Amino acid sequence: MFSEVVTPELFASAVRLATPIALAAIGGAVCERSGVVNIAMEGLMLISAFAGVAAALLFGNAWIGVFVAVLASVLFSAIHAWASINLRADQVISGTAINILALGVTGFLMETIFGHPGTTDTVKTIKPLMDLPAGGGGVLGTIWQWVDVVFLSYTPLVYVGMFSAVFLTWAMYRTRWGLRLRALGEHPRAADTVGINVLRGRWVAVLISGFMAGLAGANLTLEQVGSFTENMTNGRGFIALAANIFGRWTPGGAYMASLLFGFADALQLKLQLFSDVIKIPPQFFLMLPYILTVIVLAGVVGRAVAPASVGKPYKEKG
Amino acid sequence: MSADPQAACELPPNVGQDRPPILELRNVSKRFPGVLANDDVSASVAPGEVLALLGENGAGKSTLMNVAYGLLSASAGEIVVDGNSVQIRAPRDAIRLGIGMVHQHFMLVEPLTVTENIVLGMEPTNSWGLIDRAVARKRVVEISAKYGLKVDPDSRVMDLSVGMQQRVEILKALYRDARILILDEPTAVLTPQEVHELFQIVRELVSQGLAVVIITHKLDEVMAFADRILVMRAGRVVGETTPEECSEQSLARMMVGRDVVLKIDKGPAKIGEVVLDVSDLVVLDDRKLPALKGVSFAVHGGEVLGIAGVSGNGQRELVEAITGLRRPSGGTVSLKGRDITHDDARRTIAAGVSHVPEDRHRRGLVLEFDLVENVALGDQRREPFSKHGILNRSALDTEARARIKDYDVRTPNEHVAASNLSGGNQQKLVLARELGRNPELLVASQPTRGLDVGAIEFVHRRIIAERDSGKAVLLVSMELEEVMSLSDRILVMYEGRVVAEFEGGQVTEEELGLFMTGGGRTPTEPSRASEEDTGA
Ligand SMILES: Nc1ncnc2c1ncn2[C@@H]1O[C@H](COP(=O)(O)OP(=O)(O)O)[C@@H](O)[C@H]1O
Ligand SMILES: [Mg+2]
Repeated sequence: MFSEVVTPELFASAVRLATPIALAAIGGAVCERSGVVNIAMEGLMLISAFAGVAAALLFGNAWIGVFVAVLASVLFSAIHAWASINLRADQVISGTAINILALGVTGFLMETIFGHPGTTDTVKTIKPLMDLPAGGGGVLGTIWQWVDVVFLSYTPLVYVGMFSAVFLTWAMYRTRWGLRLRALGEHPRAADTVGINVLRGRWVAVLISGFMAGLAGANLTLEQVGSFTENMTNGRGFIALAANIFGRWTPGGAYMASLLFGFADALQLKLQLFSDVIKIPPQFFLMLPYILTVIVLAGVVGRAVAPASVGKPYKEKG
Repeated sequence: MSADPQAACELPPNVGQDRPPILELRNVSKRFPGVLANDDVSASVAPGEVLALLGENGAGKSTLMNVAYGLLSASAGEIVVDGNSVQIRAPRDAIRLGIGMVHQHFMLVEPLTVTENIVLGMEPTNSWGLIDRAVARKRVVEISAKYGLKVDPDSRVMDLSVGMQQRVEILKALYRDARILILDEPTAVLTPQEVHELFQIVRELVSQGLAVVIITHKLDEVMAFADRILVMRAGRVVGETTPEECSEQSLARMMVGRDVVLKIDKGPAKIGEVVLDVSDLVVLDDRKLPALKGVSFAVHGGEVLGIAGVSGNGQRELVEAITGLRRPSGGTVSLKGRDITHDDARRTIAAGVSHVPEDRHRRGLVLEFDLVENVALGDQRREPFSKHGILNRSALDTEARARIKDYDVRTPNEHVAASNLSGGNQQKLVLARELGRNPELLVASQPTRGLDVGAIEFVHRRIIAERDSGKAVLLVSMELEEVMSLSDRILVMYEGRVVAEFEGGQVTEEELGLFMTGGGRTPTEPSRASEEDTGA
């Protein structure tokens, strides 16, 4: 059974399933490093997943769908930025409001545009970036098959996820923007007293998070599923939040943590096929990623130290 | 009254007054909702001069300087730099004009390195627009050499001592070419040695032509280091003088508006029986590391035992272990012969231990509760305050009113929230509760932290009154002067151990300071010292 479970497809499916979580989690890391909690990622992903499909169906082009998905998510994240940065609202409440709003808006637009609840029509999903020929037989062929499937078989946004994990980690630790970003989330008043614009810095971070959540939603519908179903994000935004914590608020760490969740998901899908053989009900495997989330959030995995000022609204002056 | 340049010119020439002021604040007023924090205040400082801004807590000193630094906007008034009227809307404007400020609460990003903190907001960049770390580090090293401010540019700020962090703050201002340096209560958190070093640094800075403003409420520092003194009270400037022209006593009178007893007058101790006996106590801190590594001592009735030490050497854990807030992992604590090692706070209180905690706001009071409820805390189960779990409101009100009167808590009435009281009155309220229940032992941790002279006087008198009525007092304080003036016996704690013991009045601040920082010979452990001698 081992060789049937542990295949290159298992790992590829882990990466694919990790991607929407990772894209959102990377943005979440940027956002939280600036001092703003973004639990709205779930809602942002949902909005963009829907907007992407709707636009792709309307224009008959999946890339226009991606663009519209990102645009929608950025717009909704602006609501979060405005409420939590300018109005100094409780960030958890603002985020929750957006999550509820997203559920309502997508449900409503579903009925208005498609005339029925449930699932939309299907779009043609975006193709893998590379389409390489299968290898021959022998050891070399097997190696090639692993490399091809595990590394080279993905759709563009999967690579965007990998690239942004590396790029944003580098930017966070090596650029002026990154230094200032980290200062904002730790001690915004210190940043303010050396002339850094705290509110603007946080706005940019929230919008980046919106951008990334938009890519996550687009990846979900336009690269993976091909259609939108109500509440299809199914907690991925919250898992992204956990991945961000597990990854210690770094884009790279968030990506690796997402891979872990993706792997749990891929494994459970695979194991469901064998539930008759190993006599464990498939529902049990379905719980795996969520149990993992609970364990991570309960802080079993080391005591992660959050940015000192995360979640605290900042008032410029009196 | 006002500090206009003409009047300043008449002061002795040796105080830097021969030069025109570099920074002037003219008729500044700042109103907060319900408070006029600055009322028509004028002040000025010249290059090469140390101006002390002296006043009680809440006098408006920080507010005035925050206005100068652009952190607050004034309701009225004018700021003049180099003779030109300027607008300072935000700190970046102040920085551009050469004003630097070290805040009371440091503005440092703890996980970042010293260099990163110093360059933050003005990072040197290379041709790619990326931070040029080599250049940044080089500039930091240069400036720290120029002014004699030694600090490791690559350490993370969170790993530095408070004194070192303060240097980083000063370097931050110097990196931005500050010509005016404002230090807000710079000595509040320092050891005596660090204070000494700080004032050497300040001397170096003024000799290189900087103007320095030091905010403080400590009289001895002002006398020792200021060229000129501006005294503020309740938002106004009430006097301007020089150390040569005044005494601590006259400054205190100006600050408080009445005569103040600065030196505690206490008679000889009438030592009674052992009240608190701590033996070989081992306590872990929050990270489960040993904070107390076997501490033994006794406190007698009729004496104040003072514990001196730099914050974080086990004092907090000691206090928590005695008061039932933390479980010791070894050793015993007994009160009048009864073992209370494993008693919780409730039983410790019942046994006769009262506690004035170091953090008034988080542990001393429930800020949202009114004064009556705060007075009742800890005694709420006792009759007549409650019966069968139901509070007796009228008994509580009566008791609270009596104690408020007894302890001179200034409040409109007993039903306002504790958060509305000033710091001094909050502390009086804590004392009213803790001493009002007539304990055997008072454990007072930093009882005057952040209080002004008037309130400090009150707290000190009450502590001595406890001692004189035969009670035992354990006093933990970072203020050496306080420990020295109140204690009949002094223990010095360093890294979880008692490293020295002195009779009150037989030790100098410098000696204590030395032991507090791990120096000195340990008179309580002569055997070990002689071992080292023979081993060498
Ligand atoms: N941000 C603020 N909002 C409202 N009141 C304030 C604020 N800052 C200071 N105050 C009030 O202004 C007065 C002066 O405070 P402050 O300048 O901090 O005094 P000091 O530094 O002399 O101890 C106090 O009564 C204080 O409560
Ligand atoms: Mg102050």
